[in-house]
Amino acid sequence: MKRRKLLTITLSLMLLTIFQIKGQENTDTLPRTVEGILNTLDVKNRLKFSGYIQAQYQVADSGGTKSFAGGDFENGVDKRFYLRRGRIKFQYDAAAGEKGWSTSQYVLQFDISQKGLTIKDVYAKFTDPWSGWFSVTAGMQNRPFGYEIVYSSALRESPERGRMSQIIFPNERDLGAMLTIQAPKTSRWNWIKLDVGMFNGTGAPSAGVNTSDFDKFKDIIGHLAITRSTKSERVKWGLGASFYDGGFRQDSSDRYKFGSDSLGVKGFIIDQKNTVVSTFINNRDKTKRSYVGFDGQVSIDWFLGLTTIRGEYIQGEQPADSSSSTSLSSAIQQPSTKTTYTTTINSSTGAATTTATTVNTTSTRYVYIRKFNGAYFYLLQNIGQSPWQAIVKYDWYDANTDLKGDEIGQGVKKTGFQKSNATDLKYTTLGLGLAYRWDANVKITGYYDMVKNETSSNLSGYTKDLLDNVFTLRVQVKF
Amino acid sequence: MKKIILIVAIAFTAISFTAISTKAQKIVIKGSDTVLPLAQKEAELYMKKNAGKSVTVIGGGSGVGLAALVDNATDIAMSSRKIKMDERMKMQDAGRAYKEVIVANDALSVIVNPQNKVSQLTRQQIEGIYTGKIKNWKEVGGDDMTIVVYSRETSSGTYEFFKDHVLNRKNYASSVLNMPATGAIIQSVSQTKGAIGYVGLAYMTKEVKDIAVSYDGKKFVLGSIATAKDKTYPIVRPLYFYYPTAKEASVKAFIDYILSPEGQKIVDEVGYVSLK
Repeated sequence: MKRRKLLTITLSLMLLTIFQIKGQENTDTLPRTVEGILNTLDVKNRLKFSGYIQAQYQVADSGGTKSFAGGDFENGVDKRFYLRRGRIKFQYDAAAGEKGWSTSQYVLQFDISQKGLTIKDVYAKFTDPWSGWFSVTAGMQNRPFGYEIVYSSALRESPERGRMSQIIFPNERDLGAMLTIQAPKTSRWNWIKLDVGMFNGTGAPSAGVNTSDFDKFKDIIGHLAITRSTKSERVKWGLGASFYDGGFRQDSSDRYKFGSDSLGVKGFIIDQKNTVVSTFINNRDKTKRSYVGFDGQVSIDWFLGLTTIRGEYIQGEQPADSSSSTSLSSAIQQPSTKTTYTTTINSSTGAATTTATTVNTTSTRYVYIRKFNGAYFYLLQNIGQSPWQAIVKYDWYDANTDLKGDEIGQGVKKTGFQKSNATDLKYTTLGLGLAYRWDANVKITGYYDMVKNETSSNLSGYTKDLLDNVFTLRVQVKF
Repeated sequence: MKKIILIVAIAFTAISFTAISTKAQKIVIKGSDTVLPLAQKEAELYMKKNAGKSVTVIGGGSGVGLAALVDNATDIAMSSRKIKMDERMKMQDAGRAYKEVIVANDALSVIVNPQNKVSQLTRQQIEGIYTGKIKNWKEVGGDDMTIVVYSRETSSGTYEFFKDHVLNRKNYASSVLNMPATGAIIQSVSQTKGAIGYVGLAYMTKEVKDIAVSYDGKKFVLGSIATAKDKTYPIVRPLYFYYPTAKEASVKAFIDYILSPEGQKIVDEVGYVSLK
């Protein structure tokens, strides 16, 4: 009996010891396990995966409408389903340092639609670890000009950016490096921000195109912005000023600028002939491209709901094609009615030789320099605190501020002059829309663009307002 | 057979209703660490009185709570500061209407180590200490001793309230030590002779000494429930609950409980300042 008792006590003690050891092990490993889980969660939190899809149905006033509401309609087509954007974005933020900010960030964004796969953003951002005031972003990124260009399409209330934004900054992005000066969020100076970047100036290269730039000239773009909110946190406002100082190489095309002939007829006069272009590619002249812009935003939360007003005005000198004022992504080869020119460079001397080749085409392309201005204004009104939002947007783009009405397309009377054309017309667009925010992920927008073009009795096809209004019904899902 | 089908159908319906009603009675509250002890105590007593109802309270900071509200990841966001304009805009963008309720007030006490002979400071002196202009206690009538300044971390609503209302929106000095929780400030101040910090009245312990504060340089007042209620103590702030209007039916009973005489009594007991 005694032996049995002794055995029972011994076994119990052994079991207790084993459990105690096991318990001790658990106590020791638990913090390590928790730390491991937290580390894993931290890495997962720093890798962000987001995106959105914009699917839409559009109805245009007429088949084949030339439109800035998502691109031109095909000939004979006035209704279409369209996958406007399908974005996937990966962002990795390095672990925050001792002072509370991450010193590097990596972003990769794709657009997938019926047009195929396009790379939108590929950049790395580095922030100084000492003050947190200075960041450098290098790669393909938004050009830091104004407000609408850099404002995300997922957040923008109107389906598209204004006509001017699409013309002077097609695809919004470019290859370059940008310096940002902004205090960390905890600083009292966080409300002021300066972005200054150096970019190729050609915009984001098209898919599959290996050329990033066609000349040695780089463009400088900058934006200074302030953003403040009142102490009551019911009013937020911002102001900004932007500049663009760039240009591209004058190659084998004539360059024209605005002028009048001896009879006072306004048109384009020769600024530089292609025949005087230097044979040395590095000595060739720069065609200047310069803009200035001012933007402002204010949001007020009051009894009617959140009201937001935004506006931006831009003016400048736009060197582009004779038949389009859209910023160039490649050199213009001219005159294609007779010949095209090919430049070859001697690798040892650097001397360029231009050879002419005759081609069979009837189009004629030159570089035209135009003074332009444009603006957009948004009025956004939330209906109380409901999911509904009313949208009013007005924008204009005057591609050539030197010409008005019937002056456009007027026949010039002197040799060497070029007459203006439909590219020089002014367009205004009034957009009215209603958005319903289903939840944080889903937004449905109905939007009607009323486009009005300047008319000229000297321009065939533009003697009256075109039938180019477009209605868009868009569903956006983001995650 | 028909009877069986009818019984099964009724049973399924009953189960479904039970499941729905059980789900509706579960409330998740996230946000301010300052409001956390109050919300926990209120939740505890509310659940005791209302069997079958569940209230889960999670801290993390006012910013975290309001972000969760935008993401629809909480039923109520607790906040020790007012919702910011950016957060309002995000709520609007998410199509989510919300309501704001002040559930209590809180007095912020400025604390020092009990061995520190300084017992009162003006707002300007506190601002000087936190912005780095005043570095030694002898500059404010204390011993020749370096001031060690403690603050809450930047995501805290208390951090922002103190910056906005005591520092006049001036920036904290880079030498200020940011602590992750109020308890950590109490502990650090109690162990460091030259330390200064700020905590909610509810967190006050005997391990630290509170400082009488003056905004006019004449009348110095110690923080207490009484001085906060009679408005003689200047560092007092409201504590907020924000909830989506769509969830009003499920959260209203709990909020009504906090606002009731019984709930407000708990506010005073926990160390906050009741609304009446």
